Amino acid sequence: MSPIDQRLQEALDGERDPGELPVDLRESYALLSAAAQMLKAMPPVSVASRVMTEIRQNPAPVQSEGPAHRLMHWLGGGRAVTVRLRPVWTLALAAGLATVLLVPWSSSLPTPGVAQGIANFVGHFPGARSVEVVGSFNDWSRGALALNDDDHDGIWHANAVLPAGPHEYMFVVDGERWVSDPLADHYVDDGFGAGQQNSLVIVRPVSAQP
Amino acid sequence: MVNDGAPDIEVVARVLGGDGEAFGILIRRYEPGLLRFATRMLGNSDAAADAVAESLVRAYRHLAQCRDPGRLRSWLYRITGNRCRSHLARRHTNDISLSDVPAPALADSSDTWAVLERGEQVALVERALAALPAEKREAFVLKHVEGMSYEEMAAATGARIPTLKMRVHRAREALLAALEEVVR
Repeated sequence: MSPIDQRLQEALDGERDPGELPVDLRESYALLSAAAQMLKAMPPVSVASRVMTEIRQNPAPVQSEGPAHRLMHWLGGGRAVTVRLRPVWTLALAAGLATVLLVPWSSSLPTPGVAQGIANFVGHFPGARSVEVVGSFNDWSRGALALNDDDHDGIWHANAVLPAGPHEYMFVVDGERWVSDPLADHYVDDGFGAGQQNSLVIVRPVSAQP
Repeated sequence: MVNDGAPDIEVVARVLGGDGEAFGILIRRYEPGLLRFATRMLGNSDAAADAVAESLVRAYRHLAQCRDPGRLRSWLYRITGNRCRSHLARRHTNDISLSDVPAPALADSSDTWAVLERGEQVALVERALAALPAEKREAFVLKHVEGMSYEEMAAATGARIPTLKMRVHRAREALLAALEEVVR
């Protein structure tokens, strides 16, 4: 196999008029074009009914359910115990975290069950209008858990009771930009190729806390 | 009720809003191309049908993870490409069997092709495609069969555009060499 003429590559890429090619290259162009045309035959099968049957039997959760309802459903029951420790990133973030940990939000969280713990989500997104968390624990549904930045310092935070174990998640900034957590404990491939990664938090059960 | 001609972004919003039936619009819109792509990747229409069905169900379950519904097509091809790669990896080989897809009429009947019967031409092309490594086969099919731009291919595969151009160029060289060996 030898390299083929660059003019032929350009013609096949639509960057050159194939009519301008020398005769031998024009023949090669016709050969490859005809081969591609043959491969365009549509398979005489359909999986539509099979897929729709599967979807009807196991419908996905509805995204339009009210955020408050979804949040209440998600939080479950329990009392707050912080089980996730993150490294301090910047002084500002440290200050923010200190504020987060000192303010008694935990009193408003339900008590985690035996197999539950609490995950803290903190991110530094200066100038963001909104930040929320979507993940495997809420079927990647938007509107389920919003982060807050009450003092407008760019540090957004939220916490929630989750089942113990690993959970993949992403931040959604301003409703459209999906961002990995730069402070995540771990990262995992998102399973859709392209090398994109989800953040991973491992929630420990309250019963495992000292 | 969303109609069949609605933009992807609108249909996706309907599905995420609880209208699971609207996903049927996306299936009708993209299933033929996905099946063709998977068939060319796997060389077998049964395996391709399984891969596409699994991919569409997976896409439905994770639709909220589609970060840009305006590029849904590329996202669906990415999921399907991953399923095909998994399938090939399970077989521990890039080799694929010859397809049972019927041949279309030739768009360009040059003299070189005229020496072969159409069935022979199709078998020859499929054999040459099957002999390519999976990455080059994928690049050639996305470019020349599915008609994607290099930008769409990058979104569908995660590979960089220069890398994809190189794969397409190498695939063309290999196919041309294989075809010319027989027809000239």
